[in-house]
Amino acid sequence: MLLDAPMRSRLDRLALNGKRRVRGVWSGRNRSVRLGESLDFADYREYFPGDDFRRIDYNLWARLGVVLVRLFEAEDEMPVSVIVDTSASMGLGDKFPTAQRLAAMVTYLALASGERVRLLTVPALGKPSLTGPWARHVATWPRLEGWLEALTPAGGTDLAAAARLMATPGAHRGPVVLVSDLLTTDWGGALDLLGALGGGAVLHVLDPTELEPELTGDLTLRDVETGRELQVSVSDAALERYRKRLTRFRQDAAARTKRAGMDYVAVRAAPDALDLTLRHLVAGGWVR
Amino acid sequence: MGAVSLLAPAALGLLALSVPLVVMYMLRSRRRGVDVTSTLLWEDEKEFVSAALPWQRLRITAAMVLQLLALALFALVLSRPFFRETTLLGPHTVLIVDTSGSMALAARLDAAKTEMRTLVAEASAEQLISIVEAGPRARVLAAFSRDPGQLAGIVAGLVAGGGTEDLEGALRLARGLATPDRPTTVLFLSDGGPAQVLEEPVSDARHLVFDATGDNVAITGLGTNPVGEGPARIFVEVASFSSHTATVDVSLTVDDLEVGMVAMTLPPGERRREVVAVDAGPGQVVEAAVVAAADANPLDDTAAVVLTGTAALGVTVVGEGSPFLDALLLATPGVTVPEGRPPDVVIVDGGSPDVVDRPAWLIRPETPPDGVRLEGVVDNPLITFARTGEPLLEGLDLAQVAIARADIVAAPGWLPILSAGEAPLILLGEIDGHRVVYFTFDLVASNLPVQVSFPILGSRILDWLGGTRLGTAATADAGTPLALTPPQGSSSRVKTPDGSVVEVPAGVIEFTLADQPGVYRVDYVAADGSIAPGSIVTRRFAVGEAAGASRRIAVTEPVAAAGEEATLVREWAPALIALLLLLVLVEWWVAFGRPRLRRRVVTA
Repeated sequence: MLLDAPMRSRLDRLALNGKRRVRGVWSGRNRSVRLGESLDFADYREYFPGDDFRRIDYNLWARLGVVLVRLFEAEDEMPVSVIVDTSASMGLGDKFPTAQRLAAMVTYLALASGERVRLLTVPALGKPSLTGPWARHVATWPRLEGWLEALTPAGGTDLAAAARLMATPGAHRGPVVLVSDLLTTDWGGALDLLGALGGGAVLHVLDPTELEPELTGDLTLRDVETGRELQVSVSDAALERYRKRLTRFRQDAAARTKRAGMDYVAVRAAPDALDLTLRHLVAGGWVR
Repeated sequence: MGAVSLLAPAALGLLALSVPLVVMYMLRSRRRGVDVTSTLLWEDEKEFVSAALPWQRLRITAAMVLQLLALALFALVLSRPFFRETTLLGPHTVLIVDTSGSMALAARLDAAKTEMRTLVAEASAEQLISIVEAGPRARVLAAFSRDPGQLAGIVAGLVAGGGTEDLEGALRLARGLATPDRPTTVLFLSDGGPAQVLEEPVSDARHLVFDATGDNVAITGLGTNPVGEGPARIFVEVASFSSHTATVDVSLTVDDLEVGMVAMTLPPGERRREVVAVDAGPGQVVEAAVVAAADANPLDDTAAVVLTGTAALGVTVVGEGSPFLDALLLATPGVTVPEGRPPDVVIVDGGSPDVVDRPAWLIRPETPPDGVRLEGVVDNPLITFARTGEPLLEGLDLAQVAIARADIVAAPGWLPILSAGEAPLILLGEIDGHRVVYFTFDLVASNLPVQVSFPILGSRILDWLGGTRLGTAATADAGTPLALTPPQGSSSRVKTPDGSVVEVPAGVIEFTLADQPGVYRVDYVAADGSIAPGSIVTRRFAVGEAAGASRRIAVTEPVAAAGEEATLVREWAPALIALLLLLVLVEWWVAFGRPRLRRRVVTA
């Protein structure tokens, strides 16, 4: 079970807050980019034959002698896409369990808010296709939870391909929540594409052993995704340089995410990661 | 400290192990494979190495430096570095320390004790040390000891006495301590000048001179005339050994009660004598003490005598006589002119003694007595000789005595105690078993009667002729044992000048711990606990010690190993081993103690 009952109960009292107008297919509770049937006044326009008489503003007609009809905001559902990185690099330590629970949290939050949610995994290298279930009602949560629990990290993934597929014309546009360690070479371009879809958030999950590696001596480092080997001599100075590069990497990721219109949350893989992430999202206004 | 040498230089060959040690650091270590999530962040640490080359560039690390240092130290320890240290100590060293009175001057003995402590401290565990005290009675204080604590305690207990050192006795003891199987070195620690020894088996002898000096004023004489009726006349002589004029007060006490104070001004090297009349009687102790602001030797600043009584002495003057003799007889306590009975002593002033049938004082008789031959006359004789140690002349200043004319006599068997060249002026002898004092000059033809010394000399002559030598109890230099005469079954109890009480077991008739000058009071303790007062005896500071130097030691060349520098081989091994252990600890700390260098198993 990815989310226990207390956590679900807590999420039931919260709701996702789309920072942008959405372009949904079905009506919902989020301000849409188009005009519709809600009670929120949007504008006037000149009457054209065939318009609904009930929208004519008779007061204006009486005062000004011009026949105008009232226009109202539309409210659509917010199609939320949750992308889980299932690359082998996520299999280190508590990273993937943490990523599963984070994805589950966002998914449940969207379902509880009445939004449409699609769960996706980053496609494997050379297999450019996105697969994952759609769901809209919280009653579908057990199915989505089972799908998430069945995920296993393995092999290499292509985050850029996933972003390109998401940005395909005609695809549903909406906020994207990416749960990944971003340990890939093309993460920057992918974030730009994903951000253009409607904002969202990047939950950057790193394990403590990545943040503070406990390595020393002459080592052969093997990349678990690519199998590439690297000869290094790890000394105090080398560790210090690594820490500086890691800090710069996270700063770059945060800046790039912000530039793409998304929120960035650095997550340390740990049992309390859910609470901390939720606080960040609330503080950032993405959840209310 | 000499140059460092090695006892086992071959062990330095172990330094060759440093080559394989360095080579091991140059060998490429087998790299451990570690799975990481990504190598992206490690790209900059990539090393371009070739798996075909087993070598890598030598990197100087703390561990390698420490291991090389440890190896070097290990080789150095095994090579047993040592240095030769010149030392006064031999395999067996006899320290002869002078504790005579002169060593109390200017803290000479303290300096000697400091030197002894240094020698004891630098002695190795294989070196034996014996200590012989050269006081008035030579004593072996420690024999063949290698216990620094015991030796330090003995050194701390050394105290300068008031006597003259018995160096010959100390040397005999040192030779007795020498053993054939172990070369023995003798070190003299005294103020007496250079000395060397002597005979086998002593191999070497050195003399450490402690001749610090300082301004010293000493009481060199204290005596009295026989006490009879009237006040006792105390004779005090004070000498200055200072380099400048000293003004001192001499206090006189009788049984610890101050009875007088005499002020004296003493030019450098001069002596002053005073006669002070004090109200004291037989059995009382008269003490004199110099009261000086600063004095280099406190031991010679006091002196004490015990007054004795004398029986009435009948003296008759025969011949011309003189007012001086009459005054002398009047002033000398206990001397009377017998009426109706034969005199005890006869004074023949001029004239011819027919028969000497009793002690007589002959003053230039017209006819010399038997055994004395008149050979001529000398005018204005100049005193050139005064017999040293003669009790009659002790402390008397006769340098100012002028004599107009004296007889030149030949007196075989007589003892001249005062002479002017070949002409004796005062002789002592016996005629028919009677003591005789012979003056070869007339008193009225000299200024002797007007000298301060005359009443003392006259009373001593009468006392000697009458059978009693002096008006004070017998005294001797410090260090002379006290004679104990305890009743049968009684022990003796001696109170020494410093106030301590020494119990002497019954049967012991000699108290040898009399090195300190001053008053010794002897009581006898019977078996039932009753105490009978014994004698009161004084010991004086040896006058010769006051001048500030002990006797020179007769020197003979050392027999063996003369002039060789005594050397001591000291190894550095203990210090190096300690350093090695410290280094190993540091290496351990560097390898395992520092958290940042701690090796951990990486879990990927």
